[in-house]
Amino acid sequence: MKFLCIDCDTAMKFKDVTRPEQGSVTAVFECPDCFTEIAMFLNPWETQMLKSLDLKLGGSGEAAQPMQMVRSQLETAKQDSMPNVSSEMGSGETAEGGKCPFTAVISDAFEEKPESEPEGPTWTPEALERLERIPSFVRPMAKMGIESFAKENGHTEITGEVMDAARGNFPAQF
Amino acid sequence: MKSYKELPDDAGSNIIGQVTAQANRLTKRLASIKRTVAIMSGKGGVGKSAVTANLATALTLAGYTVGVVDADINGPTIAKMMGVRNATLEYTSAGVKPAISSLGTKIISMDLLLSEDDAPVLWSAHTQKDAFTWRSTMEVGALREFIGDTEWGELDYLLLDLPPGSDRLPNVAELIPNLGGVIVVTIPSEVSHLIVRKSITMARDIFKVPIIGIVENMAFYACKHCGEHESLFSPEDTPDNTFQVTTLGKIPFDPKLSHCNDNGTPYIHEYPDSLASAAILEVTQKIQDFFKYY
Ligand SMILES: Nc1ncnc2c1ncn2[C@@H]1O[C@H](COP(=O)(O)OP(=O)(O)OP(=O)(O)O)[C@@H](O)[C@H]1O
Ligand SMILES: [Mg+2]
Repeated sequence: MKFLCIDCDTAMKFKDVTRPEQGSVTAVFECPDCFTEIAMFLNPWETQMLKSLDLKLGGSGEAAQPMQMVRSQLETAKQDSMPNVSSEMGSGETAEGGKCPFTAVISDAFEEKPESEPEGPTWTPEALERLERIPSFVRPMAKMGIESFAKENGHTEITGEVMDAARGNFPAQF
Repeated sequence: MKSYKELPDDAGSNIIGQVTAQANRLTKRLASIKRTVAIMSGKGGVGKSAVTANLATALTLAGYTVGVVDADINGPTIAKMMGVRNATLEYTSAGVKPAISSLGTKIISMDLLLSEDDAPVLWSAHTQKDAFTWRSTMEVGALREFIGDTEWGELDYLLLDLPPGSDRLPNVAELIPNLGGVIVVTIPSEVSHLIVRKSITMARDIFKVPIIGIVENMAFYACKHCGEHESLFSPEDTPDNTFQVTTLGKIPFDPKLSHCNDNGTPYIHEYPDSLASAAILEVTQKIQDFFKYY
């Protein structure tokens, strides 16, 4: 993936990757000439694809740690099978945390538990039914987008009308 | 406006570089492994893992340095069969130190990483829904790390115990470009033979992997009173040319072999004079011959 600043005709550079929300990661790119920034959102499905390939946005940074993919991604792992990586490998940070921003960000993403999500607006049955019709891999992102649209616009309940109003903001049809 | 090709890199992620680094890690490790052998089957439960564990032990007893990769990520049994389930893996900068069996075989298995007996392999994800789209990618990644990140040292043989079916073979062939050969395990039933043929075609004709030969497991049962051989499956003997590949040996059913697998004790070491041990040693000899002449 490459990004071009059309005004400057200059290749944009990776700048940062932000904490994920509901499994979706945001990467920021910047034009080195005019400093315009753009954000790229990866939906949870794309985020998961990168993770499963053990690839990191913004480069891998440090040298690879042994079995880093298994150690950071296996949820049912034995505790003693995931000790801190020895000091030669980094600065004694946990295998899950790692030093690479993306690994760290990704690990955090899994800790999100639906139960601990803050109270959001409620969904009417009609709106929920429409939500179900959105392809499943973009659904979490669409749901999040609609909810934040509702919040910003002072709706406590998401109805079909709220969805229609939010629609313009999303590529997915619902 | 500049085109895709004119932009120098992928904005700094260097995805190609990351993939190359992964491949290099594996290549470097494989360079110290002389021969790699994948043990596969058509159907499940025919004794791949039992055969792998016993061949590994036999090769170790013959004086070779041997490693085993339990490539059955979701159904790992090698650690139990080889008596290393309680081993704790040690991580160093050079890699992960494998578990070592009582006779000195080096072992890596997902079983050594899982928290408890009931724990399945569950990968972190925002949702497990649609996991089919990425699970297999995770499994191949795990296999790559098992082969490439284990501190094997110099190995004469690395055996890979594959899951049932031929699905994993393409991944193994891709991860190990110089894969030494494949051993196909079957039982003497037409149902098993039907599927084994597909595995052989897949290995030999599509992925051009050399086939060392067939092992017929549970080939017969020797009556413990009179010694007569009785068949467990098809009443007919399987002719040696059924699959147009070498038959490496016919291993009888022996309840002691099953007990040894359950207890993690090396069968051929405990019962060196049994019929099954003789068959396993015959297979071991033919593997050595294969690599001598191949
Ligand atoms: N020759 C034999 N005599 C007695 N028991 C055997 C023999 N071969 C295998 N077994 C037992 O049969 C069972 C199935 O064998 P094993 O697990 O090796 O099969 P597998 O092909 O690896 O199965 P899967 O397809 O699930 O990986 C095990 O309990 C094993 O100990
Ligand atoms: Mg098995």
